[in-house]
Amino acid sequence: MSASAPAPAPAPAVASRTPRAPRLTRRTTALAAAVLALLLAVLLSLAVGARSIPPGEVFDALLHGGSSDAAEVIRTMRVPRTLIGLMVGAALALAGTVLQGITRNPIADPGVLGISQGASVAVVLAIAFAGVHTLTGYVWFAFAGAAVASVAVYAIASGGRGGATPVKLALGGAAINALLVSVTTGVLTTKASALDEFRFWQVGSVAGRETEVVQQVWPFLLLGVVLVLSVARGLDALALGEDVAKGLGQNVAAVRITGGIGATVLTGVGVAAAGPIAFIGLAVPHIARAVVGNDHRWVLPMAALLGPVMLLVSDVIGRIVFPPGEVPAGVMTALIGVPFLVALVRRKAVPA
Amino acid sequence: MSAKSTVVRVRPAGYAVVKAGPRGRFLLHRRASLVAAALLGLLAAVCVAYLCVGESFVAPGEVVKVLLGQPSSAELVVGTLRLPRMAVGLLVGAAFGIAGALIQTVARNPLASPDIIGISQGASALTVGAMTFGITSYAVLPHLSVIGGIAAAALVYVFAWRGGLHATRFVLIGIGFAIALRSVTMLFLTKGDYLVAQQAQIWMTGSLNGRGWAEAAPLAWTLLLLLPAVAWAARAQRTVTMDDDTATALGVRLGRVRLGLVALGVVLASVATGTAGPVDFVALLAPQIARRMTRTAQIPLVSSALLGAVIVVLGDLLARRLFSPTELPVGVLTAAVGAPYLIWLIIRGHRGRSGGTA
Repeated sequence: MSASAPAPAPAPAVASRTPRAPRLTRRTTALAAAVLALLLAVLLSLAVGARSIPPGEVFDALLHGGSSDAAEVIRTMRVPRTLIGLMVGAALALAGTVLQGITRNPIADPGVLGISQGASVAVVLAIAFAGVHTLTGYVWFAFAGAAVASVAVYAIASGGRGGATPVKLALGGAAINALLVSVTTGVLTTKASALDEFRFWQVGSVAGRETEVVQQVWPFLLLGVVLVLSVARGLDALALGEDVAKGLGQNVAAVRITGGIGATVLTGVGVAAAGPIAFIGLAVPHIARAVVGNDHRWVLPMAALLGPVMLLVSDVIGRIVFPPGEVPAGVMTALIGVPFLVALVRRKAVPA
Repeated sequence: MSAKSTVVRVRPAGYAVVKAGPRGRFLLHRRASLVAAALLGLLAAVCVAYLCVGESFVAPGEVVKVLLGQPSSAELVVGTLRLPRMAVGLLVGAAFGIAGALIQTVARNPLASPDIIGISQGASALTVGAMTFGITSYAVLPHLSVIGGIAAAALVYVFAWRGGLHATRFVLIGIGFAIALRSVTMLFLTKGDYLVAQQAQIWMTGSLNGRGWAEAAPLAWTLLLLLPAVAWAARAQRTVTMDDDTATALGVRLGRVRLGLVALGVVLASVATGTAGPVDFVALLAPQIARRMTRTAQIPLVSSALLGAVIVVLGDLLARRLFSPTELPVGVLTAAVGAPYLIWLIIRGHRGRSGGTA
């Protein structure tokens, strides 16, 4: 990725350059580059597929409508698909960043902590016992499931002495995850029809969603983003350790609960709209930290930009890698993400 | 008292020195020994219950008769049907328990276990892939899953190695591979028809259905052969539990010790997975519960093995009977046995360091 050279930082009034200036420029550059990458990814997502459409026609269809076949394809299929990709990518990346922050565990993410699994269980139950068989019907169940799982994890972790410590959060998540997986597999091994439907949902994909799904989840996305951004400073303080955070005047429990609710809502958005897409919540926070450092006021926006880039690019590659079929985005994110993560983790000591 | 009399040995609190012969002295953690003894009793009780309960109830007296080789009317039900399956469950559980303990120790993260860092996923990807392409013979699949598990772990190790094995790096790369392999497995699941998907789903859940002496024997031999290695691991664990600088200063070759511990854990987990499928969470739960019971600095191996066995045998007993006549795969019930207890332990919250640095 090459971004255009940034404008040099305005020369500070003092002769000696403050150490802040170069860092600020580097971060701003990185952010600009990420925005560019995202715009490119959106364009690709609109233009590439079983039927390639030149960028000129893409803009034409978006701006002037038109009724050509190309315009139809873009409006009815690729625009919703791209919107879902944008929302889900941002939601999962932010959720992962916050969860790693509040548990102070570098391997925490919605999947490991059982929140995605909560959404999955709810969808399995909806298919098996409530007769729900549409994506728009799954949404509310996924939300409810994610919420219940999160509340349970937090309730377990904050029990006993010492409140919700990082280790207790992580272990509580693992224990809840274990229970939820056993419910899921229990239903799936006894109800063949549910398995037949569920196996296609659990791969995770952004294809075939109606615009209706976007309308259902965007208010929640907004709510989640606001909650998460509000705890940015608290997460910075938490990274220094609980006692230091308290000394800095942070209310640790409030930060954890607010951040946790934000992460839950965002995971709900991601899973409801696209199924349990793994990897983005785990890997993107690490990539974002590697680029802009540990200040959450930068890490969060960076993650929100890089998450959709990763998801959209994965989805586009999945469309063209084995024609005529498609590889679902949920599989491609992992296959593309692994080399990324490996390279990143090998390059430096992991910022936890 | 002359200056060069006896060397003063400081004994850590809570330990007893056991003398074995003129030179052999080792430390025994009192509480850990008690916990292990109690778990052994619990396991025996669970095993007897397993042999008694089923389609037809067999009195404990008859069970003991069969076990002692005396003639009994319950010979067929207990000796031929229940005992071999129980033996497989016991061995699988113990293997998962030890594997989880070793890998969590090296990774210093309670979340690191074979089913999280890619071993189970490697086994599943290869096995489910083979099923999708029409290989369904149980003569072939177990070998494939052992190969898959070991190959995945080797990949993770190679990629995580950079002038040493950094714990967090190892776990992160392991999880990355686990997610990728799991996604591939899910893709395979959507490619076959739904009967294949169903068979694969049951295998991936972990099941002891139809397992008997033929499966128990190789597993038992593997565990026996690895026993000296496990004994070494129990000692080596202590050095890995310290921080790196201290261990290096004491002359411990950390890289080698870690590789040895991880390799042993991987082999145990892979062989157990080949036998019964990846019974999720046993390797994660058993060591964590064991450690909270013993309150030792490192994860106790013997107690982890015993707890793993208890979880799987009890889980299978419930899986067989709870919804009879429907038999569930044991993997559905293992979490239901272990997770609530772990949750209770977390809530009760013993003060002190709990389960690696997170």
